[in-house]
Amino acid sequence: MSSMREIKNRINATSKTSQITKAMNMVSASKLRKADKQNRAFIPTKERIKSVLEDILATYLDVTHPLLEPRETKRTGYILVTSDRGLAGPYNNNLLKAFKTHLQETHQNQDDFIVGTIGYKAFSFCKRNKYPMINTESVNSRDDVEFIDFQLMSRSFIKHYLNHKVDKIVIYYNHYVNTLTQTVDTYTLLPISTLVKKKDSQVAEFLFEPSPQEVINQLLPIYLENTLFGIILDAKTSEHAARMTAMKNASDNAEDVIKKLNLYYNRARQNAITIELTDIIGGANAVN
Amino acid sequence: MKIIIVTPEGELYNEEVTSVVVSSANNGEYGMLSGHLPIISTIDTGYVKMTFNQLTYYVVIINGLVQQVHDVITVIAQDAYIGESKDAAIENLNQIRKARLDSNRQRNLELAMAENELKKQIKQTGAGKI
Repeated sequence: MSSMREIKNRINATSKTSQITKAMNMVSASKLRKADKQNRAFIPTKERIKSVLEDILATYLDVTHPLLEPRETKRTGYILVTSDRGLAGPYNNNLLKAFKTHLQETHQNQDDFIVGTIGYKAFSFCKRNKYPMINTESVNSRDDVEFIDFQLMSRSFIKHYLNHKVDKIVIYYNHYVNTLTQTVDTYTLLPISTLVKKKDSQVAEFLFEPSPQEVINQLLPIYLENTLFGIILDAKTSEHAARMTAMKNASDNAEDVIKKLNLYYNRARQNAITIELTDIIGGANAVN
Repeated sequence: MKIIIVTPEGELYNEEVTSVVVSSANNGEYGMLSGHLPIISTIDTGYVKMTFNQLTYYVVIINGLVQQVHDVITVIAQDAYIGESKDAAIENLNQIRKARLDSNRQRNLELAMAENELKKQIKQTGAGKI
């Protein structure tokens, strides 16, 4: 059994850790509220652009775009959305594990896919596994995420798609169900299949400046980036939720450990007292 | 006539204006007065010039959609910055974007360093082994 001093030190260390995890839990809780709000607030913006696109596609039947047409998949592009930092429970691990299994099941060789990463965890994971990557630098997944952060990557993915270098783009991310549940989800970004030709009955006949085709050409990449942005916001919400739950568990566990260590400490103390007592009694007997 | 400029962070601008000039790198420049027919257009990089009585404001827009129905102009943008002159607004935008990219790079560096440090510490202290 360890000495009293060692146990005391561990009790101190554990209680300090639990202080940190408690603080992180509270920080995540407030960030979660913020992220959830932003996530919800973004939905109308996304829908607005979508409805304009759908309206154009329904009105002008001759308008087409290569991004809208599915084709035979030879090479797939993947976008992984993870966090920059750990201590978020199974948040990153679940996703990366699911992605790895998927790769093993579907792709025999490394030329069949290319990965773009958002978040430092995914970046170092892909580097470790030597996957072909589209970004040479990690794309930050910050709490105050902005378009400019990932635009370089998303634009080069769209360019790759248009040049027939990739034929499909799938996003792997954690979908936020509620505070306790986040599920690994996939979303096929390209080819675009979410747009249905539907006339928007609320709006009048529009003029298009300069032409419907031009507007579509400009708007489709924006739509894609908005979708990706929405997914990142969703993933961000899950990250905070996952971290919050993980830190709550960690604090609870720390309490348990401290309780157990206190028991050990008391036992060690008793032991020491008993030894001292027997020493004294033994000494006294020897004198007599 | 009303103009609403929306970015992912929320509404940036929501005011009554007398005239609006939309200028973009891809479509050129056109003006809008009240009573204009419903119109949809896009901006890749450009600006919206708003005039209200004697006051003029410029908003630089990155990747946006301009939509006008019933004298309400809605601009949905990925990024937008307001300024009193065109150059000031563009300058402001470029500065912010550059600072952002720099700070992203800095963060990457810090994360890599922190990760190495953590690995070293774990090895040294033998954490995780009880």
